[in-house]
Amino acid sequence: MKKLIAGALLMGASTLAFAQPGCGIGAMVWKGQSGIAPHVLAATTNGTFGNQTFGMTTGTLGCQTNQSVQSMAMYMESNIDKVARDMSRGSGENLDTLAVLLGVDEADRDSFRKALQDNFATIFPSSDTTSGEAVDAIVALLEKDEALSKYVAA
Amino acid sequence: MRTSLRFALAFVWLASGFNALATPLPDTGNLHQHPAWLTLVHYQPDRFGDGYTGQADDDDFFLSANGKTSPKAELDATLEAITRPGGGDNHARCRFPARDRWLRDQLDLAQQPADCPAFDQWTEELNTETVTLVFAASYLNSPSSMFGHTFLRLDPPQEDEETNLILANTISYAADAAAHDSEILFAYKGIFGGYPGITSIQPYYEKIRLYSDIEHRDLWEYQLNLTQSEVDMMLAHTWEIRDRNFDYYFFDENCAYRLLALIDVARPGTDLLDEVGTHAIPSDTVRWVVDRGLVEDVYYRPSAATSVSHSIDSLPDEHQTLAAAIANGYVEADAPEVKALNDEERARVLDTTYDYVRYQSEADGWPREHAAPLSHDLLKERSQIRGVAAQNGAPEPAIRDDQGHDTFRASLSGGRIGDRNFAEVTLRPAYHDVLDPPAGYRGGAQLQFLRLDARLYTDNDELQIEQLTGVEIRSLSPRNQFFSPLSWQVGFGGRRTDTETNRVFAPYLEGGAGGSWQLATGTQAFAIATADLEIDDDLRRGYDAAPGADLGILHQNNRFSLLGGVKTKAWIVSSQHRQDQAYLEGNWHFGREFSLFGKFSREDHYDRYRSTWQLGLHAYF
Repeated sequence: MKKLIAGALLMGASTLAFAQPGCGIGAMVWKGQSGIAPHVLAATTNGTFGNQTFGMTTGTLGCQTNQSVQSMAMYMESNIDKVARDMSRGSGENLDTLAVLLGVDEADRDSFRKALQDNFATIFPSSDTTSGEAVDAIVALLEKDEALSKYVAA
Repeated sequence: MRTSLRFALAFVWLASGFNALATPLPDTGNLHQHPAWLTLVHYQPDRFGDGYTGQADDDDFFLSANGKTSPKAELDATLEAITRPGGGDNHARCRFPARDRWLRDQLDLAQQPADCPAFDQWTEELNTETVTLVFAASYLNSPSSMFGHTFLRLDPPQEDEETNLILANTISYAADAAAHDSEILFAYKGIFGGYPGITSIQPYYEKIRLYSDIEHRDLWEYQLNLTQSEVDMMLAHTWEIRDRNFDYYFFDENCAYRLLALIDVARPGTDLLDEVGTHAIPSDTVRWVVDRGLVEDVYYRPSAATSVSHSIDSLPDEHQTLAAAIANGYVEADAPEVKALNDEERARVLDTTYDYVRYQSEADGWPREHAAPLSHDLLKERSQIRGVAAQNGAPEPAIRDDQGHDTFRASLSGGRIGDRNFAEVTLRPAYHDVLDPPAGYRGGAQLQFLRLDARLYTDNDELQIEQLTGVEIRSLSPRNQFFSPLSWQVGFGGRRTDTETNRVFAPYLEGGAGGSWQLATGTQAFAIATADLEIDDDLRRGYDAAPGADLGILHQNNRFSLLGGVKTKAWIVSSQHRQDQAYLEGNWHFGREFSLFGKFSREDHYDRYRSTWQLGLHAYF
């Protein structure tokens, strides 16, 4: 199942502007949003823009080849502020989604959550941290953890 | 000549020989009139004549050249194509798996599996066990979103603990407008047609981001009780219409309409499309789906805005003040007064402040220079508090959006203006005003379309159109120390206007902006600066304009709604008379079907006073 999800996520991404998985520079984490004219327009036609997509670039450890890590990187790209939020609280559905994408077993979920919360300041050292850098830091962190390293093995 | 004739004869012989060898196609009889076939190819009966026309605006959707207008030709062509030997992604069986499946069932054809690698891979990836209809409710301060939006979520099997619905895929049907056009053209084409409607597949988390985080719309998830075989049929048909163009129309052939067709295909006989008359309002379509017994379970996913309001309301007053101070940069996230709180309290304050800062960055465009370092500081502080889980989200509202009153309203009333009595009939096809039963709707929001008020004056049996409303939108969103939305209104149509000697029907345009403030639960006061424009030959200069003001109080609850206030308009072009009015309107609600209503106004215009009152009944259906 986890491979299927990770594969589907990447498959979906290939139709987006996703040129070189694992080699780009991620967007800034807490970017200011401006201009929500499109949402007003979308509202007035009770539909939405069919092909509204979010820019996809991701940076990980010199082109990480692990499919799960790439999927996690993609997910973080568009949900980074919520992932960071859940990470700081040590719980939440976005953190669980990372665990699903990495294929973390139920038995290891608590230590996964705890590891990320404990190391929040390492994963996000400043407000300019890119989502790619955060992914790199998560991978490096998990690699050092005996129980969790298997989930990021390339 | 002789040789070519011989060749021709040989060809005819060969062709007939092949024909005799092939399995004869079964007689299809009247199968092309079967409702399921008509649904599968999206045929609608012609308004004039007894034929049918397919709604697809894409030649690739039909296998017969006459397919758009002939269900029989299309069925014969489909049958011929799916029984042709061979396979591969371009074979008709792979392009139209739902038709293939249905025809094989109906005609007892051999059930040998088709060889369709692309379709098989697609269904495997989607890995769908159940389907959930998701309704995106209207959002704060945007009554034009009140129609809502619907899409389908394809849920993978849940016995797997690792499955996470955020990663599930969704099917949406929407106007493909990204590459085109100005805003005005966008609105025009959305209503009168011209945009291609595209069925698209996206992960649910992209939808959550768009609706929940950016547009601040609550999501209602209605898990449908389709069987696995019905789900498979729906997916097969989605494959058929994927990337096919069906022109998009705001009122009827919209997002909700196309999804109803998918449900009809999945469960033949549901006939949801039969409910669609002139318009398919998404919230109405959800009602139909619920009424047809298709819903197994309902889940609520509050938007970022709803969640942050709830977190703020859950904080004690002094912590609210502290959160506002941190958000605005007066107090640091690690200041002594924050550190002084116990872990639980500190976690709540930091969580709420972070969510609020994110909300403001999205909604109000707070600059990154302020929001980013602050966000980072808040999370860093929060990550040091262990063992305090995030708080539960906002509770589910007691009444769901699909449980509110129906959107069509008809009213009968009697009244008196000056010394004339009248009877009035009002028809309003859509949607809601602030005095209607508020359950299931946003407080203070109003959206009316194409409302007609006709009066019969009893003294001389004179029938008059009192008002014809094109569109009327009103949004009264209270302000507080965290949120400062603008209250606004806009409307146009035609209405009776006083020219001192007569009441003439004049086209008008009106608008206004201001603020409103919550006084108590369900009660708000508002102050709006207004502007009116009327155009009519009977006005001295052909038109008149009036700046003005409207001050009032609105109370809404499930038993009654009240609106009262004072309005003033200074007509400055033609009449040069002030028009002052005091008004009071109340509706008493009986369930979601009926309201009794009463209105009274007293007006000073052209140096004379005139009272109008009215009593009547609204029925919603």
